[in-house]
Amino acid sequence: MNPTASSEPAAASAIDVSCRRPLLVLLLSAAAWLVIASAFALICSIKFHSPDFLAGAAWLTYGRAHPAASSAFLYGFCLQSGLGVSLWLLARLGRTRLAHHWLATAGAVFWNLGVTVGVFGVLAGDRTGFEALELPGYATPMLFIGYALTGICGALTFHQRQQQPLYVSQWFVFAALFWFPWIYSTAQLLLVTFPVRGVMQSAIAWWYANNLRVVWLWLAGLGAVFYLVPKLARRELQNRNLALSAFWLILLFGSWGGIPNSAPLPAWMPALSTVGTVLTTVALLAVSLSVWKTAGRGAGPPGALENLPLRFVRFGALAFLVAGFMRVLGSIPPVSNVTDLTWFGPATDQLNTYGFFAMVSFGAAYWILPRVMGLDFPWARLARAHFWLASLGVVLLAAPLAIAGVLEGLKLRNPDNAFMDVVKATLPCLRLSTMGDLLMALGHAAFLANLAGLAARFYLPRAASLFSSLTLDLHKPAGAKP
Amino acid sequence: MNFSSSQPPPMPPETAELGAGNMPVPVWLMVLLFVLLYAGMVFFDRYSGWFDAEVYMPYASLADLQAFQPRGGGSSLERGRAVYENICALCHNSDGKGKPGQAPLFVGSEWVMGSPNRMIRIPLSGLSGSVQVNGTEWNLSMPAMGASLSDDDLAAVLTYIRQSWGNKATAITPEQVKAVRAQVGARSQPWTTEQLKAIP
Amino acid sequence: MNYGPLLFLAAFFALAGSWFGFVLTPQAQVGRLQTTNMLGGATLYPQARPGLARQGLEVYRANGCADCHSQQVRQSGTVCNAVLSETGTNLPAVLAALLKLKPALSEPDARQWLSTLPRPVLEGLKPAEADAAVKVLNGAGAKAAVWIVPVGPDLARGWGKRRNVARDFIFDYPVALGSQRIGPDLANLSARQPDAGWHLRHLYAPRLEVKDSAMPPYRFLFERRKVERSPSPDAMVLPPGLAPPPGHEIVPKPEALALVAYLLSLRAEAPLFEAPLSVAPGPPAVAPGPTAGATAGAAAGTTSTNTAPTNAPATP
Repeated sequence: MNPTASSEPAAASAIDVSCRRPLLVLLLSAAAWLVIASAFALICSIKFHSPDFLAGAAWLTYGRAHPAASSAFLYGFCLQSGLGVSLWLLARLGRTRLAHHWLATAGAVFWNLGVTVGVFGVLAGDRTGFEALELPGYATPMLFIGYALTGICGALTFHQRQQQPLYVSQWFVFAALFWFPWIYSTAQLLLVTFPVRGVMQSAIAWWYANNLRVVWLWLAGLGAVFYLVPKLARRELQNRNLALSAFWLILLFGSWGGIPNSAPLPAWMPALSTVGTVLTTVALLAVSLSVWKTAGRGAGPPGALENLPLRFVRFGALAFLVAGFMRVLGSIPPVSNVTDLTWFGPATDQLNTYGFFAMVSFGAAYWILPRVMGLDFPWARLARAHFWLASLGVVLLAAPLAIAGVLEGLKLRNPDNAFMDVVKATLPCLRLSTMGDLLMALGHAAFLANLAGLAARFYLPRAASLFSSLTLDLHKPAGAKP
Repeated sequence: MNFSSSQPPPMPPETAELGAGNMPVPVWLMVLLFVLLYAGMVFFDRYSGWFDAEVYMPYASLADLQAFQPRGGGSSLERGRAVYENICALCHNSDGKGKPGQAPLFVGSEWVMGSPNRMIRIPLSGLSGSVQVNGTEWNLSMPAMGASLSDDDLAAVLTYIRQSWGNKATAITPEQVKAVRAQVGARSQPWTTEQLKAIP
Repeated sequence: MNYGPLLFLAAFFALAGSWFGFVLTPQAQVGRLQTTNMLGGATLYPQARPGLARQGLEVYRANGCADCHSQQVRQSGTVCNAVLSETGTNLPAVLAALLKLKPALSEPDARQWLSTLPRPVLEGLKPAEADAAVKVLNGAGAKAAVWIVPVGPDLARGWGKRRNVARDFIFDYPVALGSQRIGPDLANLSARQPDAGWHLRHLYAPRLEVKDSAMPPYRFLFERRKVERSPSPDAMVLPPGLAPPPGHEIVPKPEALALVAYLLSLRAEAPLFEAPLSVAPGPPAVAPGPTAGATAGAAAGTTSTNTAPTNAPATP
């Protein structure tokens, strides 16, 4: 093994070792933020049917806990785990070590600092008021520095790749690397630093939210999907052209979505948004077809190591398809007249973020981390429990909310239905979704425990031997040889 | 968990990185794309108002929106403003403050706020000679800018002048304009201040 | 082939496309909107919110009211009504015109019908049909007009008189459109709930005013303090279960008063070119603000759409 020559492709194990620290920091902190976000989300969910729950504390009021949960989830979990998996993919698929991996680690530290300051700010009441951009402006510099460092690491790794022909995942992941800073800086500049006037703020906020929660998550998540599915199914990806057409369609049409039909904007904006969203149907079908052809009919020998990650990824791909179709349906005027401004929107969004992106991230983490650390997770049973808790939780969260949304929308169309009656009719569905939130929170806690256990399993023996070597002299009996 | 310094057994080796097949995209997917593109264009045509800044759903186009404007006796301020910007604003300025050396102001002008009969005659036949507007003397000549306007349009623009920029006066109806037109007849001479003051 | 720059450029141009479409172009159209005259009048719309209401918008933002309340009234269509307001002097001709337009009426019914004016003769018409009907009635010497009426489920529910448009929000930062209706839509709130006392009580204990409300209580916007020499005029009047112990009073903090001022400034029913509707003619002066105070005073319930709706402040 000659890992030193930079003009030769590096061995997989050498690449994994170079990714060790950044990936551990990124994924472990992502898991921690996920648990924090789930806790806040659970509190919010309970408040719908028990409004007096924790009502005394100003910092826990729904209007502050909800953006704290969504910001912790998006910026704390999604972006960090997406970046971590992307960095590993760029290194592995480029057959090169992670370039200057300390950059990524430092970036992760800054990023976590920024998210922490931001979430505290939101709880203090400094939320910006724009849905996916809630972290206050004073957290932004740290987030920028953090992303810049990590992004540069990724770009350099891509640049020094030893394998020139690109695999499809690299397309997705490399585009995602640039997508986020562009949309984030535009949104920050035009909404927080030099705010635009009037409803333009909402238009840009919707544009940003769509580009982050749909396009960026799709790019980063599908990059992982297109790597993991053939790998775990032990079959070539079927096929490259499907994946690349999905890439182009998402890039061209995906970023045009996001403006709801109810918006107080000139008619052409929601109309254009609807057209863009409907055109992403083809991308949805292309991805689903590709995944189905590659891993549809069972994959890998039974009992293989790959089964658990593959389960996560397959669930994620299914959720991707369902959430995508819900989005498409919800953007067409006859349907949006019913589902706009109801629970249908959050249901779609949560199925996309938790059901697709989070599940794919879990699958990726369960696959990548053991290789990177050289050790398996300590509790395999906990990992399996995590899968069942998370998948059941997502279904229990999204399905009742979607039903509640449609019910609510249909009832509100009839002005004879009193508003309070409509609200009461959605309560049973909300209670079910709280169950879903609870299951997911437990699953995420299991994930964090497993990750922390893995890190402990790796570092504690090293720490123990370091400790014993430092204190060896103290226990040396008098006159014995050193 | 075992905290001893001996490591647990290493991970079994994984398969090599796989490539991707190169078959073409299924035809039906491309067909679907073009069908959706066509449907999208039809949808955009019906629902978008074609990029007009003032057309909101449920209105289909600017013409549709205009059909639903309140009639209000045949004139509305929007219509009046449109006519004003087209015809009067060039000399009297969009803010009604006039342009020195070109045209006097409308804001608070006694000729605007006073009798409609005088005000209607000015654009119908023009005004020349010396005229006092809010204490300032003007000695220019105004052509009959309103002679070619319909009764509705002239009433709209005069109402707009009488009710904008802080002016508060009654509206002028197309019937009034029609009546004045009938009285004035085929007059081609511009009015003078003395002649106008003689009209109640 | 080095795909790196190609990928970069592809991503850049794809994003630039949607940026151009949804950030740059709307800025030219919507981002520079100014106040304008309301239809049929000389009153400017919108008017900037007064200072206390602007502070209230900050409280609205900080506590995330937009997470449960939307401010996006929708409209599914517009119809025209032919409204008869006066019969004029030629009653037989007007009767004949009325019977022509409403053949189902018998003659004695028609006379009865004419005794309670103004009334819509025909409803739900297209513009051309309404114009024709009004022409028939006017030709008979009556005074009739076409009445433009926006329709939709939100409007039928009383949440507004027309849909929200971009011009309604040009003075707000941040624009709090919301995305959910866990609580009712607030865009036109002060038209249906102009009582500051109701709002204060609703914030303190929502279920006091709305049974089974899902809204959490915002007690941290109020403070409990000892009664000094005499009770404060702002002190809340609460039922026995919620009232403070004797010698204490509950007083709204400045944040609560600001928030209520903002809520009372929420009004979006002015007729505009892009959102036309007919309003009954009235004096062109600015309407007085709705009265505030801890006691009930639904004063604005009677003003309806007559006076020029503005974002007038409440004086707490």
